[in-house]
Amino acid sequence: MPASNENTKKQAVVGSRSAAEERAQSEAIFNSIGDGAIATDEFGKITRINPTALRILGYKEKEIIGKWFPSAVINVDENGVPLSLIDRPITRAFLTGATVSDRAYFQRKNGTRLAVSITVAPIIHNNRPIGAIEVFRDITLELKIDRMKSEFISLASHQLRTPLSAIKTYAHMLADGYMGEILPLQRRSLETIIGATDRMNELISTLLNITRIESGSIAIIPKTTNLVKLTEEVIKGLRHIANDKHIDVKLKYSAPAILKTDSLILKEVLSNLLSNALKYTPEQGSVTIKLTGRNQHLTISVHDTGFGIPKHSQQQIFTKFFRAPNVIKHETSGTGLGLYLVKGLVTRLGGKVWFESEENKGSTFYISLPK
Amino acid sequence: MDHRTRLYDRVVRITHIYLGPAADRFIARQVQNHLGKEPEKLTVDDLVQLIDWIRVAVSLLTDDTEIVEEYVLQLQRLTYPEAEATGKRVSSDAG
Repeated sequence: MPASNENTKKQAVVGSRSAAEERAQSEAIFNSIGDGAIATDEFGKITRINPTALRILGYKEKEIIGKWFPSAVINVDENGVPLSLIDRPITRAFLTGATVSDRAYFQRKNGTRLAVSITVAPIIHNNRPIGAIEVFRDITLELKIDRMKSEFISLASHQLRTPLSAIKTYAHMLADGYMGEILPLQRRSLETIIGATDRMNELISTLLNITRIESGSIAIIPKTTNLVKLTEEVIKGLRHIANDKHIDVKLKYSAPAILKTDSLILKEVLSNLLSNALKYTPEQGSVTIKLTGRNQHLTISVHDTGFGIPKHSQQQIFTKFFRAPNVIKHETSGTGLGLYLVKGLVTRLGGKVWFESEENKGSTFYISLPK
Repeated sequence: MDHRTRLYDRVVRITHIYLGPAADRFIARQVQNHLGKEPEKLTVDDLVQLIDWIRVAVSLLTDDTEIVEEYVLQLQRLTYPEAEATGKRVSSDAG
């Protein structure tokens, strides 16, 4: 045999051994990972399932291999109702082309439900999709801890409100002279106490709302809402801040702005945006709220001539507890929860929120809501 | 933006038979997200890869592999040079 043929044969043996080794290695990884993993071929038929997935779902390998994934592995909602095919994470991932990570429930062989966190990815071989892999883990304990955390915050917030209410009531009574004459210095102290209780109440409301958003328990009750009237009410509620700082607040609209939405939630959103605009705008500045309608959407913009958001902070502006460094210098109070809350609430209303800003020139926040 | 081209239109027309009104959006997303290009830039050379993605996605909606293969076959016919050159209706070819 010529030397070159011998070499080719040796290379083939080495090649096949390394391919076999690679297969064995990937098999070992697949079988030993702590998360459940199910792989399908290009027709959605299950080709591999690891021991964790079998344990979680309660099946034996032979019961599931070769079956069509959507009918073999049942996804249900939190009430146990099977998800439609297009709502399943794996289908959404391939229909939209996006990587999907989501929480869902599996129905196990014995009929019980299990909360899981799912990530779906395509299996690519030689640049071609040859199937899908769904990786999931049991999140029952995480959900339980989340629920306990939310219940704790909710309970703590309610418990905090009761003594605050007593502090505020008695401070008002003292300030109003129901308990005898008070000196101007004492009145100023009482006003500070009242202001602080108001801020504490707002903080508690924000925490409660965030808890509700994060736990998904915020209820949306849509009703026909006159946005002009609602915005006027919000401006009226914050007029004293604008007056104190001599800030000119304008409301502009071209036509009646009527939409079907949850007016209480929208009011909370607008209050947050306007209060931010007033807080971060220096004295003698201006704030303009514009309402515009286009097709099926209404857009609300809140423009201020304030400190603006530095470029390097703009990406984090809707992050929980984030406050831009330039405003901390000017205005020390604030939790960094307002815009996080705004984003969460607007999303729950089916809308979008975004902004434009330039440091030392001002910011404009936009909300677009479906009519 | 109107992203329709003759080829894209034909892919959507075939897809419409199987997915109905979702066809346009479905194909646009497959092209944008999996091929990384805008629908108006779809060429015959992209079809092989696009069909692979479509096969996997549609197979998660139905377990009827015959239907999936029939749909894929109709799309594959668009890769024949004469179909592209003549603009022949491939869906009617399939009968």
